[in-house]
Amino acid sequence: MRKEYKRSFDEIQNIVADTERFFEEENIDNSLRLKVDLSIEELFVNMVTYDTETNRDILVEMTPIENGIEVSLTDFGVEPFDPTQPRDVDIDASLNDRSAGGLGLYLVLKMADSITYHYQDRTSTITFRNCVEGNS
Amino acid sequence: MFEIDFNDSGNVAVSGRLDAAQAQTAQEFLDRVPGDCVVDMTGLEYISSAGLGVLLKTHKRLMATSGGLKLVNVNTHINDIFRYSGFDKLFDIETASS
Repeated sequence: MRKEYKRSFDEIQNIVADTERFFEEENIDNSLRLKVDLSIEELFVNMVTYDTETNRDILVEMTPIENGIEVSLTDFGVEPFDPTQPRDVDIDASLNDRSAGGLGLYLVLKMADSITYHYQDRTSTITFRNCVEGNS
Repeated sequence: MFEIDFNDSGNVAVSGRLDAAQAQTAQEFLDRVPGDCVVDMTGLEYISSAGLGVLLKTHKRLMATSGGLKLVNVNTHINDIFRYSGFDKLFDIETASS
């Protein structure tokens, strides 16, 4: 599956519907769905929110792999930002010191079995994999 | 699809998917809730960091006046998200099986 989406949170429901369809067509284990949905949403929202120097659509690609799925999100015309670097999120902080900032990418790193980042020609591509029982 | 409303028990009931597109709707509803508040998550299928942010902001506001959010009937997947996020240390949480 290869499809571009507008830079809008309203596209999340379309991505979810396309992901559901892809899982059905490719017989991918449905136990991976919520993890994959979460990682796609967090990465997509991060691009929409912070990559404001471009108005190009965001490309989402999904590929079936052994025991799972590989997903790539590509953002064109942007500065580099590597989401695979460890997030400085203190999950043990007290309520007063907690904020939701950074939590999204922190969760992606928790959920994905593997994740890579590639930047070239002002294009960022993030690729993650999820497999049954963590077999990437 | 996301829905938030009061149920017959007077608790806040949420269902569907609480994602970045729905976070504002949830926040606007919860901003009107006073004191202690029980959120019944029986029908909640999915939550992302945007939804976590809504719960955190509301909990902070209510705790400032000795109230707070209690999250009940939380399914396994969402409870995992709460644990990964450290929310299990901040909120009173009852899972669907407890």
